[in-house]
Amino acid sequence: MTYSSFLKAEFLVLWRRKQDVFNALLFFIIVVVLFPIGVNSSPEFLAPAAAGIIWCATVLAVLMALESTFKEDHRDGSLEQLVVSGLSLPLLIVLKIIAQWLVVMLPLLITMPLLAEMLYLPSSGFWALIGTLLVGSPSLFFIGVIGGALTVSIKQGAMLVMLLILPFYLPVIIFSTLAVKAAQAGLPYSGFLAMLLAMSLLSLVISPFMTAIAVKASVNA
Amino acid sequence: MQSFASLTISDLWIERAERDLCKGLSFSVQSGDVVRILGENGAGKSSLLKVIVGALSPEEGRIAYSGEDVTLDRSILQQDALYIGHSVGVKQRLSVAENIRWYCPDVCTNVLHEALKSLELIDYMDTPVKKLSAGQTRRVALARLWLSQKTLWLLDEPFASLDVKGVELLEERIQQHALAGGMVILTSHQNLLSLASRDVMLLP
Ligand SMILES: Nc1ncnc2c1ncn2[C@@H]1O[C@H](COP(=O)(O)OP(=O)(O)O)[C@@H](O)[C@H]1O
Ligand SMILES: [Mg+2]
Repeated sequence: MTYSSFLKAEFLVLWRRKQDVFNALLFFIIVVVLFPIGVNSSPEFLAPAAAGIIWCATVLAVLMALESTFKEDHRDGSLEQLVVSGLSLPLLIVLKIIAQWLVVMLPLLITMPLLAEMLYLPSSGFWALIGTLLVGSPSLFFIGVIGGALTVSIKQGAMLVMLLILPFYLPVIIFSTLAVKAAQAGLPYSGFLAMLLAMSLLSLVISPFMTAIAVKASVNA
Repeated sequence: MQSFASLTISDLWIERAERDLCKGLSFSVQSGDVVRILGENGAGKSSLLKVIVGALSPEEGRIAYSGEDVTLDRSILQQDALYIGHSVGVKQRLSVAENIRWYCPDVCTNVLHEALKSLELIDYMDTPVKKLSAGQTRRVALARLWLSQKTLWLLDEPFASLDVKGVELLEERIQQHALAGGMVILTSHQNLLSLASRDVMLLP
């Protein structure tokens, strides 16, 4: 096995699993669409709430996608093969997350103009929102994958365990919505983006090692 | 494949589920050896293979590969070892050929076809593995024995769910590998007296 053959197989598997990916996207859209219908559809309410709504839906969609990150690999024994491949497990995990991020986040970003329009998000806020999603969402993946590795061998209630990592998502959600609010008020928001970037980089450095430890423990559980 | 390789295990102590599976186990394997690990169900045969390949940590003991101490960092051994466990590590959503390219990316098409022909998988080359039978799935994993150039083979019950022809094919391949200077450690209930050059007994 090499890093490139691993990455290629990851993309192939994700392509075969496109139904799951599509379901996560559908879930995301439904959450966002239900909000104006269920709560309040006036622009005065929606415009300030838009970033929060989109970010919460994103977090849920990402959690759903990550819960199953290692499940199939564990069942067929290919996860064990990764552990004993002689390649760096943390690096393989980084590659896996990059593949997942591309496959989950790109479609989500593509639907964003439409959803932002629906939530009356002004264009000033829109670009800030895209910015926060681009810089902030990697940390969601890097943090969430630790939960995915810990719950590999749990058959029931895995989603419940995943919710344990939700508190670690709060700073990301808070800084993102603050950034969009600042942008909507015409204030500079690059400081918030820098914070988000810092969180993503920090989780990039720490999470692969923690995930590797969790994977090794799970393989033999 | 290395021209001469050796694996030395000394004073190995494996504990699992609060039970000592082995304590003070020592043995060594050299190029040309086929070692069979014997023991009852639950004696710790699979665990021993996992410890050797580095999927499981022992309580104590040293493992050396070709003279290098790999007790703490198994990567030298892993790069030269092929491990097939109870779950064979074949990706269900990928086709047979894709699975092989995942594991052995550098194999050229002719060689791949030859191996799949001898394993009677050639007609299933582009079939997703989840549509294959258990024995066929195991054959996909065994294709690695034909296609990768690893020295140390660690095979956990490799004959499970194989038919008579599959067993013969695998025995032949193991023998070839040993003759070519490879090392094989396997666990099996099959009577392989002709095959194994040595036994390691795990007592309960
Ligand atoms: N996944 C596991 N988690 C905890 N203990 C295990 C696990 N698998 C096996 N064991 C314990 O290790 C012992 C040895 O198992 P194993 O190595 O699979 O035996 P064998 O392959 O010889 O049949 C078993 O008796 C069992 O108690
Ligand atoms: Mg066993």
